[in-house]
Amino acid sequence: MATASDIFLEHADVVVAGSGAAGMRAAIAAHDAGANVVLLAKGPRRANHTRMSGGRYNVVSGLNPADGNDAFFRDTIDSGVGINNHELTRILVDEALARAYDLEEYGLAWDRTEADKYYMSMTGGGTYVRTLGSIDEGIGITEVMLHQMHKRGIRICDFHMLTDVIRDGGGCVAGGLVIDLSKGVWRFFSAPTVIIATGGTSQLYETSSGPTINTGDGIAIALRAGAELVDVEFMQFIPISFVYPQGARGYTLTEPAHYGPRHFDPNAEAAQLLNVKGERFVLKHDPLRKEGSTRDVLARAIMLEILEGRGTPEGGVYMVPDPAVFDAFLRERPIYVKRLLENYGEPQARLQAPIQVMPSALYTLGGVRIDRWCRTCVPGLLAAGEAAGGVHGANRLGGSSMPDIQVFGRRAGMAAADDAKAARAPGDAGLEQARARVAELTAPMQRADGVRPTEVKRRVQKLMWDHVGLVRTANRLEESLRAFTDLRENVMPRLKVTNKSRVLNREWMESLELANLLDLAQAMAATSIERKETRGAFYRTDFPETDPDWTANLWVRRESGRVLVEKHAVAGSATPATAEAARVAAAS
Amino acid sequence: MSTVASITVTAEIQRFDPSQDAEPRFESFEVSGLANMSVLDVVRSIYENQAGDLAYQFACRVGRCGTCAVRVNGRPVLACQERCKAQMRIEPLKPFPALRDLVVDRTEIESRLASFELAPLRNNAHPGQPELIAPDLAAKLCHMDSCLLCMVCVSACPAVEERPFDGPAFMLKLRHMAEHPADRRDRLDQALQGGMLECFNCDVCTQVCPADLSPAQAIRDFRRELFFGRGKEA
Amino acid sequence: MSAATLPRNTTRQSEGLLHGDIARWLHRVSGTVIVVFVLVHVIAQAVLHVPALASVKAGAPWLPAVQSQHWIHAALYFSIVFHTLYGLKLLLSELGMRVDYRISLWAIVAISALFGLREVLRYAGV
Repeated sequence: MATASDIFLEHADVVVAGSGAAGMRAAIAAHDAGANVVLLAKGPRRANHTRMSGGRYNVVSGLNPADGNDAFFRDTIDSGVGINNHELTRILVDEALARAYDLEEYGLAWDRTEADKYYMSMTGGGTYVRTLGSIDEGIGITEVMLHQMHKRGIRICDFHMLTDVIRDGGGCVAGGLVIDLSKGVWRFFSAPTVIIATGGTSQLYETSSGPTINTGDGIAIALRAGAELVDVEFMQFIPISFVYPQGARGYTLTEPAHYGPRHFDPNAEAAQLLNVKGERFVLKHDPLRKEGSTRDVLARAIMLEILEGRGTPEGGVYMVPDPAVFDAFLRERPIYVKRLLENYGEPQARLQAPIQVMPSALYTLGGVRIDRWCRTCVPGLLAAGEAAGGVHGANRLGGSSMPDIQVFGRRAGMAAADDAKAARAPGDAGLEQARARVAELTAPMQRADGVRPTEVKRRVQKLMWDHVGLVRTANRLEESLRAFTDLRENVMPRLKVTNKSRVLNREWMESLELANLLDLAQAMAATSIERKETRGAFYRTDFPETDPDWTANLWVRRESGRVLVEKHAVAGSATPATAEAARVAAAS
Repeated sequence: MSTVASITVTAEIQRFDPSQDAEPRFESFEVSGLANMSVLDVVRSIYENQAGDLAYQFACRVGRCGTCAVRVNGRPVLACQERCKAQMRIEPLKPFPALRDLVVDRTEIESRLASFELAPLRNNAHPGQPELIAPDLAAKLCHMDSCLLCMVCVSACPAVEERPFDGPAFMLKLRHMAEHPADRRDRLDQALQGGMLECFNCDVCTQVCPADLSPAQAIRDFRRELFFGRGKEA
Repeated sequence: MSAATLPRNTTRQSEGLLHGDIARWLHRVSGTVIVVFVLVHVIAQAVLHVPALASVKAGAPWLPAVQSQHWIHAALYFSIVFHTLYGLKLLLSELGMRVDYRISLWAIVAISALFGLREVLRYAGV
């Protein structure tokens, strides 16, 4: 019988945390570069956010002559309201096509209009028809990538949750501390490089679209390990998501239903959105683009209607779809038609009746700050995908996360393999630190009395949704920050786990996740207080205008337990760097 | 919806911790809520309010990840998609070994999938431009590849129970590759090795599939290929 | 109303019949009925016509009558038709014909039942 302090020591060149497309693409690239790779999945390997995605893929494929790399770049920067890391955005644009072909090589069949012509459409925020897709959506993408993992014999550890990145005396990565949740035993993967590809942190919100495992573990782990975060005040909310049934609440309802004819024609109108009084409230917010506006504007408009009491009893608003696009919708997105049928009924599935929609937390725009090869400021620590920040800036184009995770997943894998070759194998350096950490992380298991993690998680989610969500204001943000600090100091030390079985102990896992969620909640609240403007997905009622002075990024790092927020000029942009590293805040 | 009625569900859940229990047992819970709750909603409510020690698995809660499959009143279903009913007996998916309570060990499933080498075996590298695939075939390939690998069909299949047969989902995955124009591996042979001929052609898999797929049709396509030879351009 | 077929609503999968199970069991049972009837028929005919088995005839006077019970004939005809048609359906579907598993099952059951019913009616003198 394993005891709390038993740790199994294993070795690898590259440890990849996360089984979504970014993680798998990183593992494939690192393996192909000659590294010995281990991929960790917190749940079963298919439990990831990529699989839930619509799988839309923005790319300049050459099939729309009006479009070009510069237009895609401009769209991305415009959507990100200028604070994207321009260098990363440029890489995304330049490499998206090669990675789309990689997926096809892996076995994915992009939708086609002719044998050699991809089917293209528009998604949220873009100005050109450029988005590829496949009927199997994110499911197909993850399946073909899993087959590539199998083909290479890359080791995948299901139910293995990364809890900490351990550094050696010189500050370099020595490995990852991991709990095997299926057995309740600890493993220390001694490795010179760790890639964080654990996805976003949408679970911070009461209503979210992503999977329940997206608790921002990797981002918080990187922060604890000394890496910097960037843009964490930005969370993307999708305007169009399911309102009921309970279980599906918040799940993205996809854009073709909402976009209607605009799905194929940038000049066409999108489906009207009506409040419970039958008013087209979006006209107040964007009289020009109307319902064809960007995700951030629509999500905010809907949320304000709901908050001001003009929502439906279920907490949504009505979307009036165009039945004329039904055939195209059914052909392109049968999985969503099925969900509409099951959740709402046949008239809604046929786009013949109003559909209730609500905004929901979709995508973590910020994350670990990376360079063009996905390296963080900690030697040996890399990040890619939703866990990394900077590519999309203040708001993301619909269909840009799929190329992001492919492009930067591959870059992270290649760079990690290189770094691992150059580094000395860390051996069992860090094992003692890991052992000490295990004792801390096992504490809730020993406590007889206290608070269940589920209850605390619910409180955090409510606070985030109400005060650090779509609509933010100084006093509420400060109040939330104090609440998070209080939870961390007074409640976290009292967490208890009902069952002491070490096998698949969900409460124990939730207690580990909760520490990560709280770290990020704190960082998000602290940066939100600092950013005194409204930009993209970020809306402050007390600063409702976009301020050119704030065309800048906020970086977050932790120094001896304190969260430090710094304002920096946008990386790689044409504007001269102001080098304004003014340390503007110190929270907690 | 506001018009949705309420329901009180009595759920008997199989509890089993192989590290502590000799035998599985059933524990009964009552949950009240809206009638359109899913089985997963009921299980989550039990975990959150009544049994913090319950082991269950889900991630996407919208029929995407395929990891929440259980048996409800003996029938394998996706817990997140199945609507609750007043009396439910919830058990882990058979015939897989249970890790604890409702969670099964998928190790053997994954190694079987890996052994099928489902990546396309190509003669030539990808052309670096859209590969030639007819639009209808592309749609068909995608449809087949929307299989969740949730194992609901494998659990329901009578041939898996009675005969040496890997199961419907595996045959569907092989068929997906058999239809892929770039793949050069002999998928029919692999299907035969996997027990394809043991299938009763009863379409239970077609009926229970939560993704509207028909593994039985994939098997019929393989059998037709066995009689009449390969339809795909060699 | 668009003519396009919607995907299935698969939220009530644990309710209702498993068509495939019914078909499979009916196929097995009907096959067994046919085999058993043929066996009984051979024995009964032997008992009737082979003098050496006259003692059996005396010991089991009900045996020859089994062949001419209306409900047994009905079951037999149902079984023969069901087993044949369902077997054909299996063959044809494997040779490439698209057959819906629900429609085909209930169509075959209905046709088989008609044949069974005909036997009942025949015995009733209709």
